[in-house]
Amino acid sequence: MDEAAFETFYRKTAGGIWSYIYRMTGDAAMADDLMQKTFFRFLRSNPSIADEDHLRRYVYKTATNLVFDHFREVRRDRARPFDWMPAEARPDRGDLRQDMSRVFAELKPQERALLWLAHVEGNSHEEIAEAIGVKSKSIKVMLFRARKRLGEMLTKKGLAPEVRR
Amino acid sequence: MTNECPFEPNVIDAVTNDAWTESLRKHVASCDDCAAAAEVAPWMARFSGLDEREHILPDPAVLWLKARLLQTSAAVQRASMPITRLQIAAYLIIAAGWAGLLTWKSNALQAWINRLSPGHVILGVSGAERTSLSLTVLLALILLASATVGVAMHTILAEE
Repeated sequence: MDEAAFETFYRKTAGGIWSYIYRMTGDAAMADDLMQKTFFRFLRSNPSIADEDHLRRYVYKTATNLVFDHFREVRRDRARPFDWMPAEARPDRGDLRQDMSRVFAELKPQERALLWLAHVEGNSHEEIAEAIGVKSKSIKVMLFRARKRLGEMLTKKGLAPEVRR
Repeated sequence: MTNECPFEPNVIDAVTNDAWTESLRKHVASCDDCAAAAEVAPWMARFSGLDEREHILPDPAVLWLKARLLQTSAAVQRASMPITRLQIAAYLIIAAGWAGLLTWKSNALQAWINRLSPGHVILGVSGAERTSLSLTVLLALILLASATVGVAMHTILAEE
C-alpha cells in the first residue's frame, strides 16, 4: 500500500475507529494512542489486498485487540474504585451525556464492543466475530445478552427511549 | 440460536431512521433477537451521535512517516541481532577464560601479585626469594586482557 492509498483508507476509517476506541475506553488521549497503534500495526502488516472491506475488518480487529489488552492492564493495575471507568463516566458528574456514557461504561468491554459494532458500525455477526475473536455462532447469543443487559440497565435508570413501531 | 436473523439490520435501520414497515413490525413481534435489537437501537443511535467526532485526528502523513520510522528501527534491530548474539557469546567465552585461568593458576597468580606489593619489592631488591609466572600463563593473561578490552571497545563503539 502506498502513501496515497493509505491516506484515502485512513480518511475513510479513522473517524469510526477513533469513536469506537473512545466509546470503549472513555478516554480521548487513550483513544488517540490506541488508534495510532492500530494504524502502525496495520501498516506493519504490509497490507496489499485491494478489498477495502477486508482491510477495514482487519483494522477493527486490531483495534479491538488493543482495547482488550488495555483493559487487561488496567484491571491488573486497578487501585481506586473508579479508575477503570472513563473520566466522563465517574459518578461525580451528571448530565444526560454523562449518564449515557456511564451506562455504557457499566457494560463489560466485550458487551460494549458487540453493541457498538452491531449498532453503530452495522457489522454482520461474522464481522463482529472476526473483530472480537470468537466463533461467529456465539455472536447471536452474546449480542442478545448484551442487548438485554443494556435494556435492563436503561429501564432501571429510566433512560429507556420509547420505540415507535 | 445460531444464525443471524436476516431482518436484524433492517430493524436497526427502521428504529434509527423511523422507517417501519408493516411486515417488519410483525416480524419484531415474533423474533426475540430483533425485539432486543429494537429495544436498544434508539439509545445506541443517540449515544453514537454524541459530539465526540469534533476531535481532531492525527494527520495521515505523520502516521505514515512514524510507521516507516518504526519499521526502519525494527529492521535495524533485526539486522543487529546476530552481532548482539556474537557479543554475548564473546563475553561468555572471555568470562569462562578468566574463571578457568584464575582457578587453574590461582596460587601462582597470587604469589605474582604479592610480589608486586611494596614490601616484597624491597625484599626482592635485598635478594629475597623471587617468583615468576610461566610464559604460558603470561601469554594467557595478555590474551584474555586484550580480548576483554577488544570486546568492550566494540560494544561501546557499536552503541555510539
